[in-house]
Amino acid sequence: MKEKRFQLLILSPLKRTWGIKMKQWTAFIKKEYLEQLRTGKLLVLLILFCLFGIMNPAIAKLTPWMMEILSSQMEESGMIVTGVKVDAMTSWVQFFKNMPMALIVFMIMFSGSFTTEYQKGTLVNVVTKGMKRYKILAAKMGIMMMIWTLGCLVSFGITFGYNAFFWDNSVVHHIGFSVFCFYLLGLWLTADLILASVLCQSASAVMIVTGVMFLVSYLIGMIPVVSEYLPTYLLRSGELLTGAKSAGGYCISVAVTIFFIVLEAVLSTVIFNKRNL
Amino acid sequence: MGILEISHVTKSFGSNRVIKDLSFSVPEHAVFGFIGQNGAGKTTTMKMVLGLLKADSGEIYVNGEKVSFGQTATNRFIGYLPDVPEFYGFMTPREYLAMCGQITGMFPDKVKEKSTELLKLVGLEGVNKQIRNFSRGMKQRMGIAQALLNSPKLLICDEPTSALDPIGRKEILDILYSVREHTTVIFSTHILSDMERICDRVAFIHDGNIALNGTLDEIKGIRKGEGIEIDFMHKKDAAFFLQNYSSGVLSEETRIVLKKQSEDDIIEIMRFLSQKNIAVRRLERLEPGLEDLFLEVVKG
Repeated sequence: MKEKRFQLLILSPLKRTWGIKMKQWTAFIKKEYLEQLRTGKLLVLLILFCLFGIMNPAIAKLTPWMMEILSSQMEESGMIVTGVKVDAMTSWVQFFKNMPMALIVFMIMFSGSFTTEYQKGTLVNVVTKGMKRYKILAAKMGIMMMIWTLGCLVSFGITFGYNAFFWDNSVVHHIGFSVFCFYLLGLWLTADLILASVLCQSASAVMIVTGVMFLVSYLIGMIPVVSEYLPTYLLRSGELLTGAKSAGGYCISVAVTIFFIVLEAVLSTVIFNKRNL
Repeated sequence: MGILEISHVTKSFGSNRVIKDLSFSVPEHAVFGFIGQNGAGKTTTMKMVLGLLKADSGEIYVNGEKVSFGQTATNRFIGYLPDVPEFYGFMTPREYLAMCGQITGMFPDKVKEKSTELLKLVGLEGVNKQIRNFSRGMKQRMGIAQALLNSPKLLICDEPTSALDPIGRKEILDILYSVREHTTVIFSTHILSDMERICDRVAFIHDGNIALNGTLDEIKGIRKGEGIEIDFMHKKDAAFFLQNYSSGVLSEETRIVLKKQSEDDIIEIMRFLSQKNIAVRRLERLEPGLEDLFLEVVKG
């Protein structure tokens, strides 16, 4: 009897409100997913991440061949190229060189995610339907982070697979952790992008503000004493590969980055709640 | 207490005071017309009711609950049709309604049932293309469907007919008229004939204030029996009449309009005409349209 009352009084209202709460979020996630799918963005990004995944081992594989072509010219200028050796390391170094490019494209693709909705007024309709604003933010953030996660996994998976096939991945150290560091940097920039999106009115302004946030961290990072305490330090996680550095050195930066992601998400929510749509 | 109560609301954009001490209330089950020129503050007022804009001072109540800016709980009573409704172009009408239903917390079965009913009402049943391929009129109709999805107590339409051709306008007005039994409709417009067609209450907003407010009959009654028009058979009769009634204005060759005439004045005029043996084609009391009132209000 008591159990039944507990269920009736406590559990079912909880279930109901929780159900509605989740419903709004999933409804918007579904909308975001459909948008990415039907506007072709998802496909473009997936192809891009695949290409970036293939490019790294491909460049590594082609390096000796290119060197051979160049060697005759180089001999004339007095340089002698002998037996260029490539291995998984070459490919992974390429990975860390190329992925920032993929990150930039990813950011550009999503720079209009909020601003086109402001300009068209599509969010007005959703909000007047009783949608909680923080759920719009959470859904957009969720879908961006999911796609970034998926993209990183695809690029990483492809590069890892080819490297294992052609060479041996064991020559590189901390590969998982260093890729994770770069992935986290992407998450931080996504949080930056969202903060910029709740502040700005146009996609170009969003890109500029995001760029400035990155640049500020990057420039402060020039000072050796503080560089370890900044998110942009994660950009250098490729240095872990040779095993010359220990992963522990990046822990502070990882923690700081996670802190910033949470802080920016909270800040975005607060601002978004009061902004004119 | 009405479904919507606005009391002493003000709103400025920078130094521009758009709304100055606005107060009015809308009773339930009315079709409430909100008339004003472009820039008079109609949209601003509606956005404040929806909690999309913050009022500088004053209070707004929807169904007895106070409207708050930002997280606006009172929106659960409201269906809103923006002036140029924009929906996610990549969705079909049914998908969009399903999303809206899920957001308002309706059960999926109910959403399906209601979607079918509403799409039929607005004439979009069986339309399965993505919204981006819709014409303006179709978007407007889609707008009404989504606004009515959660059976709102109050339906707010911002200039729903302004951008449409006459047939599209008639369709929208018919739809709005047909839903008044279940919901209170507020709609803004600067097209007066639309308003005369379906509204039972009207408010004129001018310069951030309510200039006139009341039922359509009341407002028309303000200036009832204002003038008469006489259409004479012959030009010379008209000229002769003018000599005796110098306040008359010749509107066309044989037509004379006399302003501000009481019933006694009319009887006097008819007596004069019969004494002088003047036959007329027509003698008519002029009922002022909203147009005249509107112009008067605007001119101040």
